[in-house]
Amino acid sequence: MNYIVPDILLLIFPFIVIGSRLFCSTKSNIPWRIANVGCIAIFILLNFIPLANGNGVFFLSNWRVDDFGILMREVLMVSAILGIWLSKDYFEHSADGRPQLHQIAEFIGAIAFATFGGVVVVSACDLVTFFLGLEIATIPMYALTAWNKKDLIGSEAATKYILMGSVATAFELFGFSYLYGFAGSLHFTDIQSAVAAGPSPLLWIAVLFLFCGIGFKLTLFPFYTWAPDVYEGAPTPVTAVLSVSSKATAIAFLVVLVFGPLAPIQEQIAPLIALLAGTTLFVGNLGALKQSRLRRFMAYSSIAQAGYIMIALLGPATIAETAIIYYLFVYAVSNYLAFFVFAIIGHHREEIFASLKGLSKQNPSIAIALAISMFSLAGIPPLAGFFGKFHLFFSGASTGHYAIVAFAVLNNVIALYYYIQLIKSAWVDEPDGHLTPIRLTRRQRSVVILLSIAVVVLGFLPFLSNNIFSGFTF
Amino acid sequence: MINDVTLSYLIFILPLLSFVVNGLFLCRKSDKAAAAMGISANGIAAISAIILAVHYFTSGLAPQKAILFEHEFIPFGNFLANIGCLIDPLSIMMLVVVTFISFMVNIYSVGYMRGDRATGRFFALLSLFSFSMLGLVAATNLFQMFIFWELVGVSSYLLIGFWYHKPSAVSASKQAFILTRFADSFFLLGIVLVSYVVQSFDFATLNDLTLSSFKAETIDLGLLVVSKADALILGSVLIFTGGWGKSAMFPMHIWLPNAMEGPTPVSSIIHSATMVVAGVYLVARLFPFFAICGSTLTLIMIVGAFTMVFAAVIACTQKDIKRILAYSTLSQLGYMMFALGVCQVGQTIVTTGWTASTFHIFTHAFFKCSLFLIAGSLIHQVHTNDLDAMGGLRKKMPWTYWCTLISILAISGIPPFSGFFSKDEIILAAFQGHHYVVFGLALLTSGLTTFYMFRLFFLAFHGEPRHEGVKAGHVHEDFAMTLPIVILAIPALLSGIAGKSLFAAFFVPGKIHAPQLVKLAEASWIPFAAVAIAIIALALAWFFYASPKARIAKALDESNRSGIYKTVYHKFYFDEMYYAVVRQFVIGGVARVARFIEDYIVGTLVNFSVWFIHKLGDLVRVAQGGYLPFYLGTLIVGVLLWRFLGNLPL
Repeated sequence: MNYIVPDILLLIFPFIVIGSRLFCSTKSNIPWRIANVGCIAIFILLNFIPLANGNGVFFLSNWRVDDFGILMREVLMVSAILGIWLSKDYFEHSADGRPQLHQIAEFIGAIAFATFGGVVVVSACDLVTFFLGLEIATIPMYALTAWNKKDLIGSEAATKYILMGSVATAFELFGFSYLYGFAGSLHFTDIQSAVAAGPSPLLWIAVLFLFCGIGFKLTLFPFYTWAPDVYEGAPTPVTAVLSVSSKATAIAFLVVLVFGPLAPIQEQIAPLIALLAGTTLFVGNLGALKQSRLRRFMAYSSIAQAGYIMIALLGPATIAETAIIYYLFVYAVSNYLAFFVFAIIGHHREEIFASLKGLSKQNPSIAIALAISMFSLAGIPPLAGFFGKFHLFFSGASTGHYAIVAFAVLNNVIALYYYIQLIKSAWVDEPDGHLTPIRLTRRQRSVVILLSIAVVVLGFLPFLSNNIFSGFTF
Repeated sequence: MINDVTLSYLIFILPLLSFVVNGLFLCRKSDKAAAAMGISANGIAAISAIILAVHYFTSGLAPQKAILFEHEFIPFGNFLANIGCLIDPLSIMMLVVVTFISFMVNIYSVGYMRGDRATGRFFALLSLFSFSMLGLVAATNLFQMFIFWELVGVSSYLLIGFWYHKPSAVSASKQAFILTRFADSFFLLGIVLVSYVVQSFDFATLNDLTLSSFKAETIDLGLLVVSKADALILGSVLIFTGGWGKSAMFPMHIWLPNAMEGPTPVSSIIHSATMVVAGVYLVARLFPFFAICGSTLTLIMIVGAFTMVFAAVIACTQKDIKRILAYSTLSQLGYMMFALGVCQVGQTIVTTGWTASTFHIFTHAFFKCSLFLIAGSLIHQVHTNDLDAMGGLRKKMPWTYWCTLISILAISGIPPFSGFFSKDEIILAAFQGHHYVVFGLALLTSGLTTFYMFRLFFLAFHGEPRHEGVKAGHVHEDFAMTLPIVILAIPALLSGIAGKSLFAAFFVPGKIHAPQLVKLAEASWIPFAAVAIAIIALALAWFFYASPKARIAKALDESNRSGIYKTVYHKFYFDEMYYAVVRQFVIGGVARVARFIEDYIVGTLVNFSVWFIHKLGDLVRVAQGGYLPFYLGTLIVGVLLWRFLGNLPL
């Protein structure tokens, strides 16, 4: 029974946080405290669920909790907790030339709903639940992007996002309807046996549209076009949540699909996956080369990262799932570290490359944290990012897709180039006297230190993550 | 209590400790404390390494392999990646070299970095480098080697760019890092491929393979299906590419001369004695594996031999003292690399080249490190890298002068100095392998080496002072800097004689699953020929740059080649012919061709790819115009695109 407790808590949690606001003043810190306690409690509860329980535990016949699902829940909760911590300062004063945010309780509620959407995706056993989960995860994101009502750029970004998102949802629904038409059932196990019995054109149309639809959320080429504008327009904490939670949900969607209903035809769709991965990481890397705004830069960087993650989908189920989960943890930690650094800078300066000038002299601790996160994202050993990438490539290589792995490894050289540009701004350029000095609050300092240590330690002591690997039998 | 295992732990932990303590606590507090920490940690590590080596070689253990400690690092499916410490003659030798050189360079840095604003950071990074390099040489498997391989790359990047207020240093550090990373990406691919086929990272397993067992099975590489044996050969080339970049072999050599922008102690430890030999070490470590992989060794020989000649010719034309040494390092790395390559004789293997190559790693580390430290000393006194501004330093820096002479005689291969023994063995190995072209080139290059090294020597120390500071007598020797130079002169002098029997007895590459060449050609005349060539080159250098009649200003001045001079001094008409041959043909002709290849072909290729990537980047940026209908259009285009390109059987 305790398998489902965290899910129920997560569902009730946003109502409690939002409800608590009815009983206290606008300035009160109580909703924020409740949110912290609640999120961390759910995360700890998740860690008590034993792994390695085979096919998973079912509730009401179509709510499945399996190893992959539990670990994905942990990824999503980590992302939610860090997102909430990151957002707190934005409700206290304005940043990056944007007005201050309001209504923190609802904000946290929206993040929690989006997280719950991700949980639904990894627990679903039929198409309807699956689709609902994806929508629950997406709709709060539209609202979060436009959270700042007075900010025109944010509203524009949200408009683009919602319009393109609707088209993508239409693709998804179209794909699902064909899948249903093909299999005659909504349930995954029935679909899987129908697929195994023999594909037909209906199935291929469904696959094409499902991949194109999820390509929007996962920012695959050429469906990524919304990402740079939305990442740029949304408030920074929302951008961070988008780049981690939303991406994690989308990749979980693909994992559930490719290793569930579509498992019998994984080999036939491998070329499509490889192409999507290759073009996405190449275009993402190219786009990141010449950016001057930090969040836009992170948008392209995360597009490229999505391409790298896709490579793992080529491998056998257990290796791929392990690689993806581990990479998502690493990616979440490194990415949030970068966003925390950018947020600290954004509270005092504009979020552009030029604001990083002379950081190593004025605030060496932030500069070190920035370097750690960039080197990790670039995949330099022995930081966590390297091992994550190694697992992804290993997964792709273990089914013999050497061409795409080789392409990805070579692309890493381009990636190194632009990540180093950022480090160069922070470490090499002379300080600019006109920039406002940067001060850290205690929360910012402790979170940055915590995340930096996490990135280094995950890399130096990879056996700490053995619980991720132990759940799977290689 | 003190046994081999605790010693080996000490060797690793002390530099790491020094890095952590210096980096976190001491670097801001006190430069002196940081220096003391660096010197004592590396000193104890060096002593431990020497005790370990003495015990290993005297207790009858040698030449067995042993693993002193090993910890599980990451499980990959059914095989493990471990972190451990492998002991065999090769790794023991490298442990001693790395810790000893690191100790010397730490002492030297006290003098060299005096007054620098970030001395503490410098010592921290030096220790990080020693730690990484030690992890690399003691690796028990490919995976561990790769991790530390990248770590030395990172520390090299940080140290080349140590003076980050100099734009040239920053761009050099970036170039070095990205170029070696480029080579490393092939290395990583090679590791993935080879470990997938063999199902192990361990050197022991890799070195014990026979290709015949892999001929039957095939493997799908995505683009084509090949037999596993061919996949292994491809893997061996990919792995060698990693060493190709790290050891700066042509055409990936361009980063090494530019890396001279870093502080001189860094050039001395990283870019001459230790890190750049990592590529040679990699091939030596995996030698039995390379030996069974078809003609990979021949590729290694060609790459090494070409770099050797190419770099030596360029070194003859340089005036920047550190760049001469950098090209000289390249040339010597070429020697070590091709010595491994010449071991392949048709279908058979002869291991003399392996012994010679490892021997040369050993001797080269001492004399080249010493030469770099000397160069740093000179630069510290005259504040320029340019030979134009030196000269006449013999009187002012007597200790340095004599130590330089020892090291230069060593690199020139004059007996009984150390370089003679190892270089002689390399040349002999080329002869025994019937690689006569390479053999000839090696002899020629040893002449060139003597020529350019003595050119440097005479121009820097002999003749009239050409620098105001030297004339005014402001030049002196710094104790902290001279001490390591003097200490290093001892192995530069003796390591050849002392090492010869040791290497002959214990340094064999392990069991090789390939037919061995039984009958070796003996050629006792080779040492005499090599020494004769060296002496002729020495005489030429003396004639041009140090004899009473030598016109140093003219030799240095590249613009002045007027004919009037020759007609007035008929007496020197003969010399002019030499000048003409040497200057116009060798320097003007061959060197210009080499320069042309370097500047235009290599440079253009690099520049073109950078330009092309940037143009593509612009394209992506322009497409992102913020125009919503266009974005929506991409969704439709995307569906159509993947409908036709996605290989779906629609």
